[in-house]
Amino acid sequence: MRSGILTVFRKELLEVGRDRKTLIFMIVLPLLLIPLIIQITTDFVADAEQEAASATLDYAIFGQERLPGLAETFASTPGFEAVPLDDPAQIPQAVTDGRIDLALVVEPLAQAGGQHVVQLHYNNAPLTSKVKPRTNEVLTRLGSDVRRERLEALGLGDPALQLGVAEPVVMVERGTAPMREVLGERIGGMLPYMFIIFCFLGAMYPAIDLAAGEKERGTLETLLLVPIPRHQVVLGKFLVVFTAGVVSAVLTLVGLGGWLALKGDELGGDIGAVMQSIGATDLVLIATMLVPTAAIFAALLLCISIYAKSFKEAQSYIAPLNMLVILPAFLAMLPGVELNWKTASIPIANISLAIKELIKGTMDYSVLVAILGSSTLLAAILLWISTLWFRREDVLFRQ
Amino acid sequence: MLEVVGLSKSFALAKPRGRPRGRAPAGPPDPREDGRRFHAIRNIDFTVQTGRIVGLLGPNGAGKTTLLRVLSTALRPSAGTATFDGVDIVREPLAVRRILGFLSGNTGLYGRLTPREMLVYFGRLHGLRGPELERRIDDLVDRLGMQSYLDRRNDTLSAGMKQRVSIARTLIHDPSVVVFDEPTTGLDVAAAETILRLVERCRDDGKTVLLSTHHMHEVARVCDRVLVVHQGELVFSGSVEQMREHGEGGTLDRALLSIVGEGADA
Repeated sequence: MRSGILTVFRKELLEVGRDRKTLIFMIVLPLLLIPLIIQITTDFVADAEQEAASATLDYAIFGQERLPGLAETFASTPGFEAVPLDDPAQIPQAVTDGRIDLALVVEPLAQAGGQHVVQLHYNNAPLTSKVKPRTNEVLTRLGSDVRRERLEALGLGDPALQLGVAEPVVMVERGTAPMREVLGERIGGMLPYMFIIFCFLGAMYPAIDLAAGEKERGTLETLLLVPIPRHQVVLGKFLVVFTAGVVSAVLTLVGLGGWLALKGDELGGDIGAVMQSIGATDLVLIATMLVPTAAIFAALLLCISIYAKSFKEAQSYIAPLNMLVILPAFLAMLPGVELNWKTASIPIANISLAIKELIKGTMDYSVLVAILGSSTLLAAILLWISTLWFRREDVLFRQ
Repeated sequence: MLEVVGLSKSFALAKPRGRPRGRAPAGPPDPREDGRRFHAIRNIDFTVQTGRIVGLLGPNGAGKTTLLRVLSTALRPSAGTATFDGVDIVREPLAVRRILGFLSGNTGLYGRLTPREMLVYFGRLHGLRGPELERRIDDLVDRLGMQSYLDRRNDTLSAGMKQRVSIARTLIHDPSVVVFDEPTTGLDVAAAETILRLVERCRDDGKTVLLSTHHMHEVARVCDRVLVVHQGELVFSGSVEQMREHGEGGTLDRALLSIVGEGADA
């Protein structure tokens, strides 16, 4: 039995290894493109943030006479430049046109010695906008000066007493979660998403080529007439698609690891520390989680490919399947979605969440065993369906 | 010896083939449709002696390819059976495949493999190993003159070269029965001649040959016996000379039209 499977496996692997499209999806994309995309993205975000932080902000002030010192404080702050604007009604259009970055409107005081309310008008859509924090920093500084003057006028000259009156209760945060868990929660969802997507993409082309491609080229019929049971043919093909999926996922891991080794320091010490704190056991467990994932994808894609009459038809079936893979994989990136017995029952999402837990270092190993078992069972069922498909004449000889 | 007894094959129809609304019927209803099933071949019986070439004729859609697919175990019969030297296609399909070679005009090659790699692959799938496999490949390469392109990728070969590779693939396990399903379709004269010589060579080697074709000159040249299938049924079985007697002027084309009816698309 073994020799038939191995013969099919070796031949299919040889053919897959000579297919440029498969090699691009299986090797080039995860190994080179992923680090490149991350590098470009981080550079782009860093540049955008840097630009937003250092760019000169053009501003207009209305009602400055109601808050003495406001105009002077902004005028003396580097990075801010006053721009004349006639009427507050022109503010939205001026912001839209880019004539100003912000406008401050000081509301009338409700009563003498009361609180000054300053409206900030700006474009709050860009995520990288630094208008609000930079303006807030200046206003906080001005507010401190006004508070100090008012308290001194009331006879409170001691800075410590001033703080006690201004902020009698202060909360100081002392998180108990280790840094690995905190950062793992923030970035841990992204990594399994990438592993899963590239595992799927890596398996996709070999799967289509190995069944629907054989039908289209007219080679399938000769394969059906060799004296080995058809389930051996399917198993040989499955092993190749499975290998392609595992290789893609592992190369994604290698690509990310390589990028972190070379550029991780630029992200700051915390992420580097998190990556270093992921031990060999966790890495082995993450790799172990990718094995049933690749098996599920290989069996599922092979099912579809066996059913399809041509390469094109298989692609049209697999396109919507992409969403079925992306959505559960994406779940781990959503805030508040945690691994529990309920989410552990959702295929793919459970693997994504389990990898996230492993990165965070908070894995419940009983759930891990259950996920490994259920995923392996699902892969086995899909593989069994593939072998059934491959015995059905109405599937193999569809007209 | 090949013995075929009561062989039938039907397929489930997804839905009964009805006439589109508002349209006149295109022709008489197909007698092979029965409710929700399509009877591609029905109750076929014949015998072929070892070492003979039997031509399988019939119009397009007559059921020739289905018959050959059932005999070669690609499809399972709905009723009846066939035996190759006592080996039953229903009970022992794997054993049948060990003694059977199949070549179709539509058969493709693995474009990213070389002819040598492809022959090794199919040889291994047929249980050949080591020196025995190498000897078999060397023999076929010599016979078919494939030395100059044995290690070139199949997708770089000409149509004639590809056809030779297909022949070598069909014969790699030295089958005692060879099935040819319209093997010369789309080939030029030289490539078609290679196939016909191969068919003759198979007979000389004592193999039983089933040849499905639309070309009457091929039948006249190589066949010892002729079977005509029409609308899924065997409507003629006899020698080439006996078939000629059915047509005016003794031509096989006229004879075939006479057997299947003048209106058939032969």
